[in-house]
Amino acid sequence: MVSADVDDPKGVDSGPVGDAELAAIFETDALAYLDQLYGTAMRMTRNPVDAEDLVQETYTKAFAAFRSYQQGTNLRAWLFRILRNTYINSYRKAKREPFSSSAEELSDPELLEVSSRLPGGVRSAETQALEQLGDADVIEAMQAIAEDFRTAVYLADIEGFSYKEIAEIMETPVGTVMSRVHRGRKLLRSLLAQYAYDRGLLDEPREGDEHAGAKKADGEGATNG
Amino acid sequence: MGEAGADPGLCTQIAAMMSAYIDGEVGAEEYQFIAVHISQCPPCGEEEHAQRRIQALVVRAVRRPSAPVELQTRIRTILRSLGSLGSQ
Repeated sequence: MVSADVDDPKGVDSGPVGDAELAAIFETDALAYLDQLYGTAMRMTRNPVDAEDLVQETYTKAFAAFRSYQQGTNLRAWLFRILRNTYINSYRKAKREPFSSSAEELSDPELLEVSSRLPGGVRSAETQALEQLGDADVIEAMQAIAEDFRTAVYLADIEGFSYKEIAEIMETPVGTVMSRVHRGRKLLRSLLAQYAYDRGLLDEPREGDEHAGAKKADGEGATNG
Repeated sequence: MGEAGADPGLCTQIAAMMSAYIDGEVGAEEYQFIAVHISQCPPCGEEEHAQRRIQALVVRAVRRPSAPVELQTRIRTILRSLGSLGSQ
């Protein structure tokens, strides 16, 4: 049995014992994710003041809703979902950033067509060139891709969430998450290839992500009509 | 169609699933199938390698800042002033 007076100052013991216990549990468990939520808030708002406000609002909302939170479900994903919703509802609206879901509705064949096709040796050169880009370029590329894609990639690569957890956070089907992560990485890669080209690190600006039907293969994909 | 890697349709499918494969988000059978294909198809192997490098670049670049100590203090204070859940 959890003691109700864990780490509690005066003020929290006004309600029934169960409430005070819940409050204590919330404070302990939810605050454990503060750094992660703050890091994500920083990435979203791009400035420390807004990030702090966003995180503070997230905790306030989460605290108010904690009673309805199902114990045993994924607290981290739940908190990230509140963070994201708060961001979308308050900050993004304020900035009038367009909601950017449209591109993800592309079907797979369309997705596949977006890329150019290069033989393997060129891709290898691409990878080497990208390695020479600085962190600032990578950050810039991350910021340049649409928010839905960026968030999916960020949650997968930086926060280590599973697709199922990301689906919970972004309130979207797992299949959509899969497509967002995939598309996001592709966009990122092609932007980075562009930066590398701009800096003279790469001879060819476009990235190739499938070799299928590559130029050398049977001449089948050749562009002569 | 010759040796491994000469089936453009298959390689295209594999490319479409590469992210999910790398993230361990495909089923066991698919995973095995893709792993075998990649080991036999140098271009697909190159593709996998390239994607992992991109991920590594992202992880390297995106460093998570720690939350300021005073933010934690402030949130604790707010939570405590709100008192018991749902009581306001």
